[in-house]
Amino acid sequence: MANYFNTLPLREQLEQLGKCRFMDSSEFADGVEALKGKKMVVIGCGAQGLNQGLNLRDSGLDVSYALREAAIAEKRQSWKNATENGFVVGTYEDLIPTADVVLNLTPDKQHTPVVKAVMPLMKEGACLSYSHGFNIVEEGMQIREDLTVIMVAPKCPGSEVRAEYVRGFGVPTLIAVHEDNDPKGEGLALAKAYAVGTGGHKAGVLMSSFIAEVKSDLMGEQTILCGMLQTGSILCFDKMVEEGIDAGYASKLIQYGWETVTEALKYGGVTNMLDRLSNPAKIKAFDLSEELKVIMRPLYNKHQDDIINGTFSRVMMEDWANDDKNLLGWRAETAETNFEKTPAGDVEISEQEFFDNGILMVAMVKAGVELAFETMTAAGIIAESAYYESLHETPLIANTIARKKLYEMNATISDTAEYGCYLYNHACLPLLGDFMKDIKTDVIGKGLDLEDAGVDNARLIEVNEALRSHPVEAIGGVLRGHMADMKKIV
Amino acid sequence: MDTQNSLDGIRLENLTVNFDEKFTLCNIDWTIEPSQHWVITGTNGSGKSALAAILAGVGEITSGKIEGVPNNIGLVSFEAQAELIANELKKDDADIMDVISLGTPVHEMIFTDCLEPELATELVEKFGLTSLMDRAFRKLSTGETRKVMLIRALSNKPDLLLLDEPFDGLDADTLAMLQAHLASIIETTPMIMVLNRFDEMPDFITHIAYMDKQGDSAGQLKYTVNRQDDVAYNELYQLLHLKTTDLDVPEMDESEKPPALDPSQPLVKLTDINIKYSDTVIVDKLNWTIEPGKHWQLSGPNGCGKTGILSLITGDHPQCYVNDIFVFGFQRGNGESIWQIKQYIGYVSTSLQWEYRVSTSCRNVIISGFFDSIGMYSRPSDKQKKIADEWLALLGMTDRADQPFNKLSYGDQRLLLIARAMVKHPPLLILDEPCLGLDDMNRQLVLALIEKICAGSETTVLYVNHHAEDKIKGIENYLAMTKNNE
Repeated sequence: MANYFNTLPLREQLEQLGKCRFMDSSEFADGVEALKGKKMVVIGCGAQGLNQGLNLRDSGLDVSYALREAAIAEKRQSWKNATENGFVVGTYEDLIPTADVVLNLTPDKQHTPVVKAVMPLMKEGACLSYSHGFNIVEEGMQIREDLTVIMVAPKCPGSEVRAEYVRGFGVPTLIAVHEDNDPKGEGLALAKAYAVGTGGHKAGVLMSSFIAEVKSDLMGEQTILCGMLQTGSILCFDKMVEEGIDAGYASKLIQYGWETVTEALKYGGVTNMLDRLSNPAKIKAFDLSEELKVIMRPLYNKHQDDIINGTFSRVMMEDWANDDKNLLGWRAETAETNFEKTPAGDVEISEQEFFDNGILMVAMVKAGVELAFETMTAAGIIAESAYYESLHETPLIANTIARKKLYEMNATISDTAEYGCYLYNHACLPLLGDFMKDIKTDVIGKGLDLEDAGVDNARLIEVNEALRSHPVEAIGGVLRGHMADMKKIV
Repeated sequence: MDTQNSLDGIRLENLTVNFDEKFTLCNIDWTIEPSQHWVITGTNGSGKSALAAILAGVGEITSGKIEGVPNNIGLVSFEAQAELIANELKKDDADIMDVISLGTPVHEMIFTDCLEPELATELVEKFGLTSLMDRAFRKLSTGETRKVMLIRALSNKPDLLLLDEPFDGLDADTLAMLQAHLASIIETTPMIMVLNRFDEMPDFITHIAYMDKQGDSAGQLKYTVNRQDDVAYNELYQLLHLKTTDLDVPEMDESEKPPALDPSQPLVKLTDINIKYSDTVIVDKLNWTIEPGKHWQLSGPNGCGKTGILSLITGDHPQCYVNDIFVFGFQRGNGESIWQIKQYIGYVSTSLQWEYRVSTSCRNVIISGFFDSIGMYSRPSDKQKKIADEWLALLGMTDRADQPFNKLSYGDQRLLLIARAMVKHPPLLILDEPCLGLDDMNRQLVLALIEKICAGSETTVLYVNHHAEDKIKGIENYLAMTKNNE
């Protein structure tokens, strides 16, 4: 199998990368009608598989689970998940031939063997659905011509997909139709009905392409989302301890700090995140982030280049073939970092203190978000996609760090994200070595020690202007506006 | 007269008093310190006036003790007024003597034995009675006799003033004058007032005693609240509001009404229900039918599957797809969505309250009931906002409409969630341990609201609890569950 993206002419590559549109809620007026009475068979009963299935069934759709014979015979966790929730469970041979839609919700790594096993069993003209396009785009899986291939990707962990549905809402969702496999022209109708079935239409749906999804998703997750937060955690913690700050305090400031500062990001973008700082601290954070962007830009470019030309997926798949030697080794290393081993101290840190004493963390988030966004859009990915895969998802990953630190964060995200995160981390730690030498506790741990909070007017205006005029803020303003219409009216 | 006594305070200890064998006040414990000014309030027929009357020596003490009551009490009440009038009528011996007697004139009523005639003169003028001084007392109107009684009580250097509904029937000017006068004597004269309405309460009142009925012929002092305690004061206000106003359930939003149900069908029919986790069977072959209009109480120990059964009905339990469940015209598992089920159900539980963590206003919490959502994700119509505001008024929480839900007290949150559940007039209202975790006063509040709902609407109530004492009037069907293996 060859990398699908690389087989396309440049014209088409650019066209596919540039696909992303925020859909209007009126486009979902038909609800789940296109899937009513159709048999949906889910493969994989992990967090996404189970929770998407629960939502679809509660929306009145017919959902069952196909598991491998061994999983059924040994009553593995996936079998338990499905049966305890009252679903019909059967083998591939039992269920796939009856399916109108097969939902492949297994981890990326299993896609090739799963799809190869399933495809011959699928009935003529059925639909195969993915929640991530890696298999199609990077591995070049060829799907039978009579089958419709769609993607419905809720942009949240499975548990959130369920929790938001139960509250009467949903999570933002990306849908796409693989144009090479849409023989009956029904792909979009099926994808929309599926998004309604999981509740995604209430939170906002992006119409994208398999290629745009894969290339932007990979870029976002390995740089700003997971990589930057992991590298930042390690560097900031070690620096604080080196400067004599209590390790418990340092651990807590970082573990919950990412979540707190990116909450401000979620509501009002980079601008609002920096507006939470005092004027002198804002200017300081701005200067640090400018410095960081210069140092890290080549690294972001390299990640994006490797993703676009397929180097990243090739190297990672080599590791898959090598029993995940690199992945498992790096995972073990993460567990051994000082930050990971130091539990958060029993100290009170107020919401504002996370900003005041975490100026460097704010600077790192700003630098990472802006770099990822700039690099993606420079590579032909449209601003909407780039926004969702950088700024929008950062608070979600920050939440997982707040819950369980780095090791568990890496266990929660996909193998692909985890692999990319380690790649980034290994390159970024040495890259920031010199930069970190000049860092003191005024920007991480203690906050600025100032006689007065005065600043130069002209400089403040300059900084505010730069913050507000960044392109990620422009598109963010538009998309958050759309979302607010659909989202919580508080 | 020895006035020292009154300064030591008044104590009622476990006091039970009979009134004419028709009414009893039971087990009253009450301490009134010298610097305090009390209002007695409570539900109708709970013995508010009787409690005040005890201090004036009315009633027969059957047990407990009362001490520290001063001798010189100024008493104004309807009962005392009626008694005075009755005495006056007795003096009218016209039938026997064959002469026309006019009875005692007003000036005599006021100035005989008066300890502060100057004050009395001043008050006569202020109350506008000057022109009536020669009139016979019993010829006065009710409002005028009330004024005479007030003047008598106030101008007699009382060691304690007992005022039972003193403001009733007074015009605005007189009311203001009286309130100002009372405020001017608070340093020297302790006061106890019976008031039905909180908004008439003078600012100088320091404490509130709340009375409630115990059956038809007994009353009890339920709560004493220091007015400085804002939380308790607000709760008491709401409780009184709920107990003393007629429940006018706000109308529903007809435009959002779900398809009508067939009245001949049961709301819920569960057949041979099983719930099991791994190999543990929680519920085994349960059959249960809920007909419209038949309120149910479901009880049983923890872990017997009460909540499991409820979530089968609401569609929140994944095993609802492997059981024989008929709800609101749907046989479950035939392509219906849970939102089609939920539109017929109002639901309140402790876990809902835990899950309701979104930061949204109290008004929006109520409106979210129209959408069966936690939080608001749709724009409400003006009509829906208006209905929500009517519910807030019903709960006595109008002033909190725009406050964030998560800043409310636990009990107020619960009340709002009940309103949220009721806002669409659901055919079925499920209350899963609605009083759990609430203090006694909040429990009274919640039960008062539920009782009104049971009595006054087209909603069938399914009430779940394990506290037998939280029985609700109007519920006549009981399902007691036991643990499966017991």
